[in-house]
Amino acid sequence: MNTSIPAISIKGLTKDFAVTLRGVKLRAVDDLSLQVEKGQVFGLLGPNGSGKSTTIKIILGLLGATVGEVKVFGVPSHQVESRRNVGYLPEAPYFYRYLSGYELVRFYARVCGVPKAQLKARVNDVVDWVGLSQAANRRVGTYSKGMLQRIGLAQALVHDPKLIVLDEPTAGVDPVGSAEMCELILKLKRQGKTVLITSHLLAQIEDVCDRVAILDHGKLMVEGSLLELVGQRDRQALIVDPLPAAEIEALREWLTSRGHVLNAIEQPRARLDQLFLSKISRTGHLGGNPGVGSNVVPSSSVPKSSASAPSSAPKA
Amino acid sequence: MPFVLNFLRSARTGLLVAAGLAAAGIALRPLEAPAWEEVRSRQPALRLESIKDALGQGVTVGLLGGFRAIVADFFWIRTNYVWEKYDLPATQTSIKLVTAIDPRPTYFWLNGSRMIAYDMPNWRIDKAGGYDKVPDTVEKRFDQEQSEVAIRYLNEGFGFHPEQPLIRLEIANIYLNRLKDTVSAARDYAIAAEHPDAPYYAARIYAELLRKMERNADAYAYLRTLYAKLPADNPQAMKSVVLERIRELEAELNVAPADRFRE
Amino acid sequence: MSALSVPFSFNRLALIASNTFLEAVRQKLFNFLLLLAVGLVASAQFFRDFNFGSSELKFIADFGFGALIFFGSALTITATAQLFFSEIENRTALTLLAKPIWRAEFVFGKFLGVFSVIGVFCALTIGLMMALLWHREGQLMAANPEAFEAGRIMRYGDLFIVGVLQWLKFGVLSAIVLLIASFSNTNLYTVVTGFFALVICHLQYLARDSWSNVDSLVLRSVVRLLSFVFPNFQLFNLSDEIGQGAGLDPMLAGRVALYALGYITVIGGLAVYSFRNREI
Repeated sequence: MNTSIPAISIKGLTKDFAVTLRGVKLRAVDDLSLQVEKGQVFGLLGPNGSGKSTTIKIILGLLGATVGEVKVFGVPSHQVESRRNVGYLPEAPYFYRYLSGYELVRFYARVCGVPKAQLKARVNDVVDWVGLSQAANRRVGTYSKGMLQRIGLAQALVHDPKLIVLDEPTAGVDPVGSAEMCELILKLKRQGKTVLITSHLLAQIEDVCDRVAILDHGKLMVEGSLLELVGQRDRQALIVDPLPAAEIEALREWLTSRGHVLNAIEQPRARLDQLFLSKISRTGHLGGNPGVGSNVVPSSSVPKSSASAPSSAPKA
Repeated sequence: MPFVLNFLRSARTGLLVAAGLAAAGIALRPLEAPAWEEVRSRQPALRLESIKDALGQGVTVGLLGGFRAIVADFFWIRTNYVWEKYDLPATQTSIKLVTAIDPRPTYFWLNGSRMIAYDMPNWRIDKAGGYDKVPDTVEKRFDQEQSEVAIRYLNEGFGFHPEQPLIRLEIANIYLNRLKDTVSAARDYAIAAEHPDAPYYAARIYAELLRKMERNADAYAYLRTLYAKLPADNPQAMKSVVLERIRELEAELNVAPADRFRE
Repeated sequence: MSALSVPFSFNRLALIASNTFLEAVRQKLFNFLLLLAVGLVASAQFFRDFNFGSSELKFIADFGFGALIFFGSALTITATAQLFFSEIENRTALTLLAKPIWRAEFVFGKFLGVFSVIGVFCALTIGLMMALLWHREGQLMAANPEAFEAGRIMRYGDLFIVGVLQWLKFGVLSAIVLLIASFSNTNLYTVVTGFFALVICHLQYLARDSWSNVDSLVLRSVVRLLSFVFPNFQLFNLSDEIGQGAGLDPMLAGRVALYALGYITVIGGLAVYSFRNREI
């Protein structure tokens, strides 16, 4: 496949839903144009009803566009071929309750055409990858929400797709599960996968996304890299040991003498989810969920982006 | 106008589906038509006007929908129930209802007529005070009346089973056993015996009735012809018994040895 | 890039079918209807009380086929609607249809899954009925040999063929319910409309045979059109004579089978067409 072809290309997409026979329509997506490059983690943000899920469904060929063009790796999204390299985790996934986790992933692997010779190994790998090896033989009906997300991710990844679409992957999942999901997304990124993720939990998106787009009432409000959108290029934060008041005053004078301004002095804080994760004994907390074992994401693996970038930026 | 256009646009799939179904119906008609002709020819027309009041709407739709056999079975079981209660009007009505619903099984015609001809006269006698009190003339009248009803009923059966030998035999039995009318009985046994599917005993009884009517020469001639047609390997044909009767008649008619029947 | 670079796959179709079958047999409704049908067939013991003689076999066959047709129709409609809508309402269809599969594979996979379930139902009901008939006929032959001069009255091969034809009829019914489900929004609407369609198909022959008797030209045209739009389910009504020991014309059975297969293909195709446009 040509490397210049974007993973997802959306041009002038409009989607109307007929509401009445009289021709009244609801415009869910309004002239949207976007491009997601290969290898990116792209966040599609917006409040409920902003058109995120509709856009995703059009990308996946589940809905047709009223106007415009959507291509996945250069293939129009209404063609079956466009889904060959796509894995999808729907919001609040529900799977065949009567199948075990292993059977479920195996079913989807076969649907996606994973060769028989590789089937067993591939299913085992992906179930292991999402940390559900120990619960793989339990019926999906007995899974917790977090485990459902994990098995959902496993079925989305089982055919080794190049693009993974995650619709609200952390909705309704506890902070531990959310953190683990973020870690898995970052792992996918490291493997060179393209990830399209929707969420209204902005902090989590911020931790994993390279670029984001914000939709409102079906319209694109803003799109760009996180640094472009929320980074304050004309500001910098220095994090130092506690300074006595006199030294702070001296520092201010020193900065003023060089033409700089000390804008704010604040106590840096860890985020609440970090505190939560540091206080929860992972094995103890997850003891009730067999299968979410220590091999999944180590207890020290609070998402790196969060650990290295506490929200301590000085306020303007 | 935009409303109509929008409606047509929304209904486009539905209209195309309906058109597709109609096209399939037309395309499959050559396959369906001969099959339907054959199936329909085996299903006598429903005379709904005569039964719908007795059945109610649900059962009527069931009948139209093709559940005739099982509905008739249910009503036959009901017939048996009222028969056990000696309820004459209900039993008679129910018998006729069953064959109006499904006239195809001869079983219904035969057993219905037996209830009418053989059981109902007894019920009427019981109701009138019992055999001790009811005079012979009245008993005979009851027999006569019920037999007539049964024969009329069986003759209706010919409308669905033309010249069915078992129905003809049932009529003959009623003439013989209930009405003691040997002439009419002999006539019907003879007609039944002519049918290729008739049981072998029909012809034997006819011959016996001829003897009973002192028409030995006719009986002898009939049995000689019959013997030649009977299969040797079927015990039901009772070929040896027929030969025995032939010999008896030869003795009674003093047939010369040279003229006697040779096997 | 060609749209057919992911070709239609019978493997995927079979996968969806086997998954549907698995889901169906785990539903209580299937077990309940199967139990009822088996119970009704087995209750043929009750006919012994009436001393019907050799005609008892007709009653057993009639009740057996009655149970098959009645409960089979109910199972076909409810199972098809339920198994289709469980995918839509539980949103498992989202996950499945987001995979590289054709909607035709999904629709025909669902159909084959339901058709297999009905096949199991028919096989069990007919199998039990034939076993009962065989056993009872043996007893009646011993008790009353004159009534069985020519051997067994029941034609078991024909009973089996009529069972297969009923199964095919349920296949047509299932395709009709799938077609309704492909555009319907709720399970309830599909089930109710499915039952209406069943009644109409059973009464189609009235329109088919008597449209020419209608005076009004408009009404006559509508009635005639209706006779083409709906399949004729009375065509499958061959069990009555079989119950009386009559034979089945193989040519007739063949025609009826082809008629059913033709309708399954066409209605299934229309369900795919309708479902292709459905927004999930």
